[in-house]
Amino acid sequence: MPTPVSAEVADTERAGPKLRKKWFAVWAVIGLLVSLAGSTAANEHSSPQPGEKPGEKIDRTMTVDPQAIVTLCVASGTLKVRGWDKDEIHVRSLDAAQIEFKRIDKTRDPAKPAVRVDVMVLDRSAAANPRLDCQALASVEMDVPAGATVQVQTRDGDITIAGVAGAYAGSQNGDIMIERARKLVEAGSVGGSIYLKDSSGRVNLSSAGGVVEVINVSPSDDEDTFEVGTVSGDIQLSRVSNPKVTAKTVNGTVTMTGPLAKAGYYSFTNMAGDVVLGMPHDASFRLNAKVSEKHDIISDFALKYLSEPTPPPPAKPRTPAPEAKGKVSGPVVTPIVVEKPTVVSAQHVLRRVNAICGSGDATISIASFGGTVRLKKI
Amino acid sequence: MTRCLDEGKLQSYFDGELSIEMMESVTSHLASCVTCAAAARELEEESAFVMSALAAEFEASVPTERLRERINEAVLGDRLAIAQSTQKASGLAGFFSGLLNFGTQRTLGYASLAVVLAFAAIVGVVKLRTTTTTPPQVDQTTAQAGNIQQPEKNAVAQASPKQVSTETPKAELLPRETPKNLVAVSYKKPASISTTPQLAPVKLIPGERSYLQAIARLDSTIKSNKKSMRPALQVEFERNLAVVDRAIAATRSAAKSNPNDPDAADFMFAAYQSKVDLLNTIADARVGGGRGH
Repeated sequence: MPTPVSAEVADTERAGPKLRKKWFAVWAVIGLLVSLAGSTAANEHSSPQPGEKPGEKIDRTMTVDPQAIVTLCVASGTLKVRGWDKDEIHVRSLDAAQIEFKRIDKTRDPAKPAVRVDVMVLDRSAAANPRLDCQALASVEMDVPAGATVQVQTRDGDITIAGVAGAYAGSQNGDIMIERARKLVEAGSVGGSIYLKDSSGRVNLSSAGGVVEVINVSPSDDEDTFEVGTVSGDIQLSRVSNPKVTAKTVNGTVTMTGPLAKAGYYSFTNMAGDVVLGMPHDASFRLNAKVSEKHDIISDFALKYLSEPTPPPPAKPRTPAPEAKGKVSGPVVTPIVVEKPTVVSAQHVLRRVNAICGSGDATISIASFGGTVRLKKI
Repeated sequence: MTRCLDEGKLQSYFDGELSIEMMESVTSHLASCVTCAAAARELEEESAFVMSALAAEFEASVPTERLRERINEAVLGDRLAIAQSTQKASGLAGFFSGLLNFGTQRTLGYASLAVVLAFAAIVGVVKLRTTTTTPPQVDQTTAQAGNIQQPEKNAVAQASPKQVSTETPKAELLPRETPKNLVAVSYKKPASISTTPQLAPVKLIPGERSYLQAIARLDSTIKSNKKSMRPALQVEFERNLAVVDRAIAATRSAAKSNPNDPDAADFMFAAYQSKVDLLNTIADARVGGGRGH
């Protein structure tokens, strides 16, 4: 870049009425300096790579706190996040036109590393309007400190997260794969599946239509709960040792295999579909099951049935408070039209089974409206 | 319906004079009650026998020929009398006397005109009333009370509470009744006039209303978003919504048939909660999420 400028300056030094050219050269140099200064200010902590051109890989790095909270959000594209042993965020993308770090700490002390950072990804269309956050169509890879918590969101792509302390992940139609998260995992998808492996801590997974598959999860704290829910997807849990496990599905099969946590509480609810529990031969548990009379409880374990429960009392009026989250303001409430249910079946009778196996250390509570319960030895 | 049906109700059933709900009720009772089914068969046979025996009489013109002749004679006599009086009176006096001469046909004509004018006046007054009322405001409690059974009647549901409380239901419904419907109500059998199926009010299970309200709010939130839902999300939403709705229908049916079993109600509430969760997820997805801080 400096070469043409110096050439112009050389031209202006010729004798004659070249003063105008000299002024032009001076202004060109000033303009160049201003533009360079502006670009440096926009990427406060970024380090643009030399020779970077549009369409090539964009690479940005920023020093952060080892336990920083980092958010990354795009409209469409695959997101990969990996924990590493440096106190830096390193972001790269082939599709993005621009990547910036926006520090959102309350105390923006430049002497201290950032604690909260938004990674702003802009593609070519969004670069013209940087206010459009989370609208980029770009796949992004990011390395964060191993102690960091990441919040990652995409609409149409898959998400992969590995080796971080905490992971919040959301995708509408993509799959979510999380490995080696140590303290916290929350993931939600509408149509995609969720896979969680070799992690610990509190877990909350939900998918409407996708499968949820979990392998080898343990608590990092005594209070760490494990919750999973789907509408039509199956739930498969293997070696989950959190003290409280809750799995709910409307129309999926729930499968859990592995040893039970001592004094653990396991709750499985489904409307249709089976509940299959594979446990070691020496499993010790207390079973409280509510099942349809049309379906069976098939057990490989010797169950000792406890006394028949007393007939249920008449249903009391109750007013459960369903949570309609914040975004419900504004529109008019339409009249409620209650139609007669289309399902007209014979009387559906439920039965309760209370039984104990061994000394009854763990508690298994199963509510299956229309499926079979199987207790298998593994 | 556990009691046996009386003969009058059975007869009305065969004549198609019962309401849809009553027809359904009687049908289901006949399917389960041997005694009533036998009585119904007997009544049906009797009706068929009577119909076949009187078929010739029914096919003959009514009124009978003799009566028709007498009517014709009377009409002819009237016409002759009018013609004679018209010849006697001439000019303006004749015109006024002709006007005031209430022959049979003219009487009918005047009566028809009076009926039409009266009807037009009623319609006019009612329209005037509805146009002078305040613009409709939504009354949540009224809407949620389930008074309005058809979505098409939103305009009535959205009337202000004052209007709803002071005006009679008939007055509210009048503007919506077309003259055609009124005629149909007068001359057709009740069973055949209901062109749109009326939804019978369903008794809600205690605690169910709050879920329905939450669902209605979320549903309207989702629908109020002017951006069209992306096809992939739409497909997933509708597929899962159908699954949840089926579960609600099934569990609700069980809860209704086992009113004393709290477990049955628990299943129903769990199904409702699944729907609330699903709608929350979709509402969030439609809003676009953002970074959430």
